[in-house]
Amino acid sequence: MNFKSMKEQNKMNNNFIRWIVVLLVSGLIIAGGATFYIFNLPHRDIQSIEADYNMLSSQLVNEYLSNARISNEKYLQEEGDSKIIAVTGIVASIDKDMKDQKVVLLKGLDEKAGVRCSFMASTNVHTDNLQPGDRVTIKGVIRSGAGYDDDLELYEDVIMEKCDVIFN
Amino acid sequence: MKKSILTFVVVSLLAINGFSQNDKLVTKTGHISFFSHTVAEDITANNYAVTSTLNPSTGEAVFSVPLQSFEFEKALMQKHYNSDKFLDTKQFPKAKFKGTISNITDIDFSKDGTYDASINGELTMHGVTNPVIESGSIRVAGDKIMLDSKIDITLADYQIAFDKGKPSTNIAKTVVATIKAEYTK
Repeated sequence: MNFKSMKEQNKMNNNFIRWIVVLLVSGLIIAGGATFYIFNLPHRDIQSIEADYNMLSSQLVNEYLSNARISNEKYLQEEGDSKIIAVTGIVASIDKDMKDQKVVLLKGLDEKAGVRCSFMASTNVHTDNLQPGDRVTIKGVIRSGAGYDDDLELYEDVIMEKCDVIFN
Repeated sequence: MKKSILTFVVVSLLAINGFSQNDKLVTKTGHISFFSHTVAEDITANNYAVTSTLNPSTGEAVFSVPLQSFEFEKALMQKHYNSDKFLDTKQFPKAKFKGTISNITDIDFSKDGTYDASINGELTMHGVTNPVIESGSIRVAGDKIMLDSKIDITLADYQIAFDKGKPSTNIAKTVVATIKAEYTK
């Protein structure tokens, strides 16, 4: 091998290494970007998503009271992205939780359990005009079902969160 | 006549006593937060939809926790937490603590003040039940009764384990649950 071809060989090797480096760096940037994106994925915006179900509060409660296992199968999702439900019912009470979120209980007078709807900082104000006895439709994400608990000795309500009033 | 008055008094005393025995304090807006600390990161999750009852005469306390109500700062963490690799909340939607405040007689629910409370009972989560012994406090202020407690939860005790990957380095083996419940008399 003469001197000239050795030099050319070196140049080719350098080009090759340069390409590898460029590929690796861009690969890392893409992978890093994707990881960053997934890691910082925002929460679902429940109110901007169409409801999976539209139903009466009594209907939802009765489904749970008649078979909690089947209802959990139907409404709860494995990773917590459970069904979004628009529930229509009669306002029984309006409460506040420790995060200052309004909690509206939809429950008929003769019903054993109801649907408890926790609002958000951005939607709390929409409960201002509500009064016990009003008929209202509230959309939110279901977190857990209704049922009688032997230890509490009372009926637990369906719990919905990220709620807003969608029809009043 | 005297006998019937006596019977009446005894019966009404029993009735009053029976009534107060069943007069449990109830809240449906209890707050529980989880805190996990590792060198890699601190993780917090909050739940404001806890149902709890407290019986002032017997000291019995029950907490029912809808597990999908825990909210994390990052959506991905929340997904991991709910998944079948972690708490499997679709399969086990609620956790429950059932216990007794052993020094309930030291607490005067009719007198304002803060009282220490020793609590022992059982926590069921992820289909596993373990004994829990913790201390907390009860604060009586007018018609409000506030219960505060902290419990350490070792995840492996509830068959929640990660051997590899990011969760094994970023989630503490023992997390702290801070419990706050406010009941109205």
